[in-house]
Amino acid sequence: MSWKSKLTPYILLIPTFIIIIIFIYWPAAYSFKLSFYQESFFGNRSIFVGLDNFIDLFTDPEYYRVILTSFIYSFSSVFLTIFIAFLISQLLVQNIPGTRLFRLFIFAPYAISPAIAGTLWSFLLTPTVGYLNYIFLELFGIDTDWLTTTPYAFIAVMLATIWKMLPFDLIFYIAGLQSIPDSLLESSMIDGANLWQRMWKIKFPLLSPITFYLFIMNFTTTMFASFGIIDIMTKGGPLGTTTTMIYKLYLDAFAFQNNGSAAAQSIVMFAIMGVITFIYFHNVEKSVHYQ
Amino acid sequence: MKKFLVLLVVIISISMFAQVTIEFWHAMSGWRIQLLQSMANDFMKTHPNIKVNVQYTGSYRDTFNKTIAAVKAGNPPHIVQIYDIGTQAMIDGGIAVPIGDLIDEDPSIDKGAFLEQVTNYYTVDGKMYSMPFNSSTAILFYNKTMFKEVGLDPNKPPRTYDELIEYARKLQKKDANGNVIRYGLTWPTHSWFFEQLMAVQNAPLVNNGNGRVGIRPTEAVFNSQAGKNIFNLFKKMTDEGLLLNTKREDWSGARQIFISQKAGMVLYSTSDVKFFVETAKENGFEVGTAFLPKPNLSVQGGSVIGGGSLWILKGHPKEETQAAWEFVKWMTEPEQQIRWHLETGYFPVRKDALEKLLSEGFYSQHPNYLTAIMELLLSKQTVNTNGAVMAYSLKQEKLLKLNTKML
Repeated sequence: MSWKSKLTPYILLIPTFIIIIIFIYWPAAYSFKLSFYQESFFGNRSIFVGLDNFIDLFTDPEYYRVILTSFIYSFSSVFLTIFIAFLISQLLVQNIPGTRLFRLFIFAPYAISPAIAGTLWSFLLTPTVGYLNYIFLELFGIDTDWLTTTPYAFIAVMLATIWKMLPFDLIFYIAGLQSIPDSLLESSMIDGANLWQRMWKIKFPLLSPITFYLFIMNFTTTMFASFGIIDIMTKGGPLGTTTTMIYKLYLDAFAFQNNGSAAAQSIVMFAIMGVITFIYFHNVEKSVHYQ
Repeated sequence: MKKFLVLLVVIISISMFAQVTIEFWHAMSGWRIQLLQSMANDFMKTHPNIKVNVQYTGSYRDTFNKTIAAVKAGNPPHIVQIYDIGTQAMIDGGIAVPIGDLIDEDPSIDKGAFLEQVTNYYTVDGKMYSMPFNSSTAILFYNKTMFKEVGLDPNKPPRTYDELIEYARKLQKKDANGNVIRYGLTWPTHSWFFEQLMAVQNAPLVNNGNGRVGIRPTEAVFNSQAGKNIFNLFKKMTDEGLLLNTKREDWSGARQIFISQKAGMVLYSTSDVKFFVETAKENGFEVGTAFLPKPNLSVQGGSVIGGGSLWILKGHPKEETQAAWEFVKWMTEPEQQIRWHLETGYFPVRKDALEKLLSEGFYSQHPNYLTAIMELLLSKQTVNTNGAVMAYSLKQEKLLKLNTKML
């Protein structure tokens, strides 16, 4: 009967595998194939072009600019999100009346879709009729076209991204902070550590596995899932300053119908994510302290 | 013999009650969804054997992408509304039944009934491929009440770039800190307006006769003097705070700015004449319309039609294609065209519809509906004002030709 027990797990995994193959592996393999082809609009004619799609991409100075934009956007929003989340989470674990209610409200952005978040920020920042513009104008007498001028459009998109990602990080940090044993903090206080030292010398290292995990998660989000916010808020403009890699991919595939190039771009993104994750796991994980 | 008769009766009754169902995909959002549905309902009342499923499939771009996906999946809709610039791609795909062929086969319809300026756009290499339905051009809307307020003549809209700048300067308002709180002009920041302003100057967007002389265009040529004129105008107006640029392709944003009187003029499509006139009334001001401005009065070009047309797709049984053709034909009949025109602002694509409205004196009461039509009718007919057609890049084109040769 031993063969049965060996096979059982695989049989049980079949349904999951079918779903993963249909929705992940098959499309991924298809786009890999597509990146070596040029295709007519309706897919009725296609031709093998070898590496032409990739060569076109990397001989286009525009594409390097898009990569740079993506990196600045991703790294700065990830860094700021993690930093702000770490600070705010310190406040949210204090035993102050109303903390629970406040936590509830601060988690709200995570529960709404990127499209809604983008629309919301667009309303707030629309030139001359947006609420935030109105407040800025009344209080400081300045009127900025947040979504239509450089570099403000880039900043606006980053703000919205941080606002959207923050609750996810907060949940993890709060859970992490609550699991730090009180005895550790008490003994540090006896040793004379002040608030600042406790925060960075004790809590931060103890929470490093969480930070490590959040970095990867946030980075993936900004690289791949930032599409909704950008599409609604700026559509990649002005002058392409908010066109990230994923948005360019969308434009090439669905606005310019250049499927071959779009597929090549998805392979490039896959490679970049692979390399960054690899480097990160090999170099940074050493400094992560698991309890 | 008896059996045969019974069989005959059965066949006749089946064919009488048999309904042909056709799918109609369109890209008209907002109140137009209801409008098209109610028009289709009227069609079904008079054609009880045809059932039309009307489906809103998102923006023009979304509809185009969904059509591609549907064709690839082997399940295309019968009728689909495709935007102007998708024309060449649709032709290349070879997925449509050319409307010109259907018109030739059908004695009840005459191609001469359509405005040539409209059919010219959808005729490529001498063949008409799709049925013009919702045609539009860009025009200038302006706030007559605001014109009066700043001492401008509400019946003299700007005609040249210089006048546009001069008027915008008068309409502009600043607060104590020097921030602009009211602009002269706004627009949806859409490349279509660039195309229109190029046509006004009778300048091509792409080479090889704007892609209309049988050879594919190989190069974009809009960095000409005409193109520079437009960019200089926009730059100057933006620098001076006269022009409020919206986000890319933000139609509703531009509309909102004009309706809330944050800008005195807006470049927009004639498709929303009804909306502008009525909403302005609710907000206590009056709207005027004008032709697109030109660099100077000696320039003689025209406007390109925009909007969409109806395509009948291949791959369906003959009776379904025939039913689809009945519906498309019905939609372009004068009665339907007039209804569509009055409810939106898109102009009628048929001469008889225009004649009817003119004889009824409609336009003397509602001159704003006439502006785009006159702008189009007065256009010089050249490849530049008929609009650019293009699809693939040269490289793709070469590769695909090579491919067909290999097959």
